Formats: sequence, C-alpha cells, structure tokens
Amino acid sequence: MRLTLGAVLALAAAPCAAQAPANLTTERSAFADWLAHAPVSPRAAVGVMLVGPQRAPIDGGTTAGQRVVERGSVVWLEGDGPSRALPRDRPVRVGSRMALVSGPPGRTRLWLFGSPAPAPPPDYYPYDPALVFSGPLMPAAAPATERVLTAEGEEVDATDAGRVMMGLGGTTSLRVLRIPDPAGEESSLEIYFRDGTTGAGSYPAGRFVALEPLADGRYRLDFNRARNPFCAYNANYPCPAPWRGNTIAAPVRAGERYASHR
Amino acid sequence: MIGALLAIAVTAAPLSGSWRAVLDLAGGELRFTLNVTAGTDAYAGRICNGRVCTALSGIRIRGDSVALEMADYAATIIGIRRGDSLVGVYHNVGNRGPRTIPFRAARGRWPVQRATAALTGSWDATYVTDGRSSARVFMFANDATGFTGAVVSNTGDYGHFWGRAAADSFALGHFDGSFIYLLTGRLDGDTLRGVFHAGLRTETPFTAVRTTGRPHLRNPTDMTAADTSTPFRFSFRDLSGQLVSNSDARFRGKVVLLDIFGTWCPTCHEAAPVLVDLYRRYHGRGLEVVGLAYEVTGDTAVDAPLVRRFRDGLGVPYPLLLAGTSDVQAAAATLPQLHGFTAFPTSVFLGRDGRVRLVYAGSLGPATGVKHGQQVAQFRAEIERLLAEPAP
Repeated sequence: MRLTLGAVLALAAAPCAAQAPANLTTERSAFADWLAHAPVSPRAAVGVMLVGPQRAPIDGGTTAGQRVVERGSVVWLEGDGPSRALPRDRPVRVGSRMALVSGPPGRTRLWLFGSPAPAPPPDYYPYDPALVFSGPLMPAAAPATERVLTAEGEEVDATDAGRVMMGLGGTTSLRVLRIPDPAGEESSLEIYFRDGTTGAGSYPAGRFVALEPLADGRYRLDFNRARNPFCAYNANYPCPAPWRGNTIAAPVRAGERYASHR
Repeated sequence: MIGALLAIAVTAAPLSGSWRAVLDLAGGELRFTLNVTAGTDAYAGRICNGRVCTALSGIRIRGDSVALEMADYAATIIGIRRGDSLVGVYHNVGNRGPRTIPFRAARGRWPVQRATAALTGSWDATYVTDGRSSARVFMFANDATGFTGAVVSNTGDYGHFWGRAAADSFALGHFDGSFIYLLTGRLDGDTLRGVFHAGLRTETPFTAVRTTGRPHLRNPTDMTAADTSTPFRFSFRDLSGQLVSNSDARFRGKVVLLDIFGTWCPTCHEAAPVLVDLYRRYHGRGLEVVGLAYEVTGDTAVDAPLVRRFRDGLGVPYPLLLAGTSDVQAAAATLPQLHGFTAFPTSVFLGRDGRVRLVYAGSLGPATGVKHGQQVAQFRAEIERLLAEPAP
C-alpha cells in the first residue's frame, strides 16, 4: 500500500534538452582524465591486502622488507627505520609505490598503486533526457544501518535514507542509501541498481547513480550519470553485491556502458 | 578592421578587479567574491567570504582560459572568459575521483544585504540526518560587507560565513578553496528552519531556536581527558631533525602549552595567531609553546616543507615538531596519555610540574566574535594561573 501511495509522488521526467548538459560533459572528461592519470586511479591499483594484528609483508615488488600491522586502530608501517603510522584515506608513498589505507579499523585494507594501465576512456550511452527524473525522497520510517560495499569497493556502514519512485517500465521503487564520507561532512545518497541492460551493454554487477538535491527540497535522479563500480576497471576491487529489490525491469540505456573486452 | 580592433580590446581587458563569483551547488548558489590584482608580471587573486579572504596560489591565463589555482588543496577553478564574465568549473581531486562543481562569475561587486534583528544573534541549532541529531550553534551578525555568520560544533567553528538576507530568509556561504559550505534557511515563527549544504550535493536539514543560555554544545574542556598521574610525555623531531622531548632542560619548571595541529587544518591556521600572541606575552614569565604537527603523509620529506611554510607564513616563534599523521586515531596513538582525542587543533596546558592541567578541544576562530574573545581570555587566565604556581 505504501508503494501505491508513493506512486502518487513519483519522480517526474524532466523536460530537458536532448544534448548532454555542459557540466555532465565536463564531469565525464574530468573522470576520464583522473582514471588515466591519477596516482590512486583504480586502473593503477596493483594489489590490495587485508591488514590485521599480525605483521604482514607488503606485496607489490618494490617494497621489499616492509611490513604492516594494525595495533589498536592504527596501521603501522615497519621496515628498516622507525615505525610510521599510516593515515587512513590519504595516499602516501611507500617505497616506489603509492599506498592507501582504507576501511574502518578491524576491516582495514592496504591498496598499492603503480602506473595506470592504458585503457580506453569510459564509454557512455547517448544522453537521454527522458531518463532524468525529479521528485521527493520518501524517508525510511526507521532508518537502519547496513554494511555495504561502495562503488569504490570500500566497506562502509550506510544508512537507509528511503526510497524514490518513478514511472519507468511501470512504477519502479528504488532503495537509497546514505554513504558516509570518512573524511568529512559530505555524504552521498546512492542507488545501486540493475536493469534490462545489466550484462547486456552495461556492467554485469550493476551500476551506481547518486541522487542530487534540488533547491526546492526534491531530488533529481539522472540515469545519464549512472556509473560503473571500480571493479569494472580493475579486478583487484571487490564488486558490491546487488542491493535487494533495486531491479528495474526496463532497460536503462543511459550512463556508463561496459564492453567485456575492455 | 574595426571588428579586429574590438576583439583585441576585449581580449586585452585586464582581469584585475572584483568579480561576483558563484559555485552552483545542487541545492543552491554559494556566492563569494573573487578579487584580482595585477602585479608586475602576473596576476594575484583572493577568494573572499565578506571581509575574510584566502589567497590563491596562482592565476594562469592561456588565451581565453583562466585558471585560478589553490595548490594547498589540489584544487583549481578553470573558467572561459568572455568579456566581463567567467564560466567554468571548480575542480579538485580526491581518492575516489575528481569533484567538479559549476562556477560562474561576472565583473562587479555583490550588493550588501544585511539581516534584520529577527535573524541576527545566537541560535541553538539541531541537525537531523536519517533520524540522528547533532548540535551546532549559529552566530549571525551584520558588518560592512553584509550578513555574516559562524557555525560552531563541538570541535570548533567552520570558519567565516558571508552572504545575504531578505526579509525572513537567508543564505550564508563559506568557500576557502577546499571546504564548501552553504547554510540556507528562513524564520518560521520563533524557529529557524533550513539546510546545511556541504560540497556539491550533501544536505542536512536543521532547526534552530534562540540560544537560551543552557549548554547546547559540549564544553571544549570536557571532551578530551588526560592521565595526570605523571608528567605528560612527548618526544618528536623538530624541523632540523633534532629530538625535542618534555624532559629537555628548556621545559623544566616551565608552563608548557602544546598545540596539536596540522597545516591542512584551516581552524589551526586561525588559532595560530592566538598562540603566537600568548607566547610573546608570557614567554618572559616562563611559558613555552610547542606545536605538534600531524601532517597528511607522515613522510618528513613531504611534511617538513609544509610545516616550514606554516611557521614562516604565520611568524611562529616557538618550535614545531613533526609528530605524526593527521588521522585522529594515529595521532592519538602517539600521545597515549590523552583519552578521547577528537579535534584539530587541541590545546594541552601543562603545569610547571609537567602534568596536564587542562585540555581544550577545538578552537573558536575570529568568526565566532564574542566566543573567540572568551576563549582567548580563558587561555590567558589559565596561563596566568599556572605561572603563579610555584616551580616544583
């Protein structure tokens, strides 16, 4: 019954120009550049290891003799010299590699990066203004916390932020989780979904899309901004399991595409 | 021919002057002022939120493209110039990808828009996210530039906010090159209702009522506890590689103020002048100040130049030590006698016997007005009290 009532508040397709907005083009260009060149681009990841209370040697070839251990909630790098605490979520140089400690204490991972592997830039479906919706976010009655993997393959405790509904292949209701940012005040309202293109043009594990708040209190859901999880770029990243129920029967031919040969 | 001359004239028009700038966040526009001045061989620029400005690290011009650089934050605004307008994006790079936010600017000055007495003053605010609440205090005032404000949390303030008010609604923004905050709201009877926007698309609803005088935030001196059974131990290298420890002769019988800070932390920059003033005022009577720097990488080759620039830029006369990395847990691990360390900066006051007497978490910057003054007065009173104690 809730779903039926919610349908009254369905996200409405926005009347937009058929050409991709300039800011979306800019975002895609910046992302392609970041993928190709950033020291911590997923295309540069050469390995990942779990860090725990047992000292473990760092793999990766050029960091011989160095080990990591988690004591309390702090990750320590041990080698020839004095131990050094490694910050979380900030890339640091370890030997000839860039390293990034991520995840909460107790579920810590150490990522190692080399040079980004050459690859074609991300590919996108043509911009489709009919797949831009705006409407309310219906908050969860009792927001629960749930441990999920983010698009970046990180384990976080996300909060159930509610649902959005839209007329897409019938009425579709999608669950929205608030993904916290460990580094600051910002968070994002994310939807991880599968649709009729999943595995048949788009990434087989599903795609992420973020809700954008509007000035009037409603939200915009722009499937042209749907993006692949990092596991699409590099098998070192774990792929998030699909979120229960977030399946759209219709094909969503918008946002990032995937070709298995990439 | 005339067309060519006009084109040259437009292209050659100087960039210098004042620009009304906007970051278009998903939930509203964040206004700030871009001030550009012409030097002998380059332009210099500042981002201003009302009277408070942050210098750009550089301005690059290539054809009609203008790049405003904020090197400290790996951030850039790139705009295309068309006469008296600039349109482009703010861009910075994180671990999870780039962040781009639409930017636009037009030559000119923002109008001064002050608030009525119905909005100015102190408000006890409650943020609500997914059923969870947290406390803030808003402090609103008018000055020569318009409507201004501060947002204070349990660990300090978010810097100077500036913006506009019309009738019973307002919008106040803070943009310093890295932090992007916008506070919007309106008066609904006796209650303020609105949204705190962080970055491009994070929104947190709030309600606020007039400050009653009852405690709304935690007392900064109650947040971090300390082991006072023995002298407080610290031992880190200074910028020349020398080990500096609490047991050094220079600290014996002295009152010591430890500043736990990071050069990446804007609040720490605002707090430093207060500490410099305390050092100059009380050093002759037995006060030592020591800065413990917790930097992003923990790599001396990277961190030391940043701390040197902090020291030189702010004229810090006391020693700054490279203590560790900026992760709160990693920092806390280097100072095991502190319990519940949560904030940069944190000020630790040691008596002449070397034991902790007071720990003050966070800092209230000049944007908080009277609260800033009260914090400075509290620091002076504490130092006076400790200096008056006999040496052991």
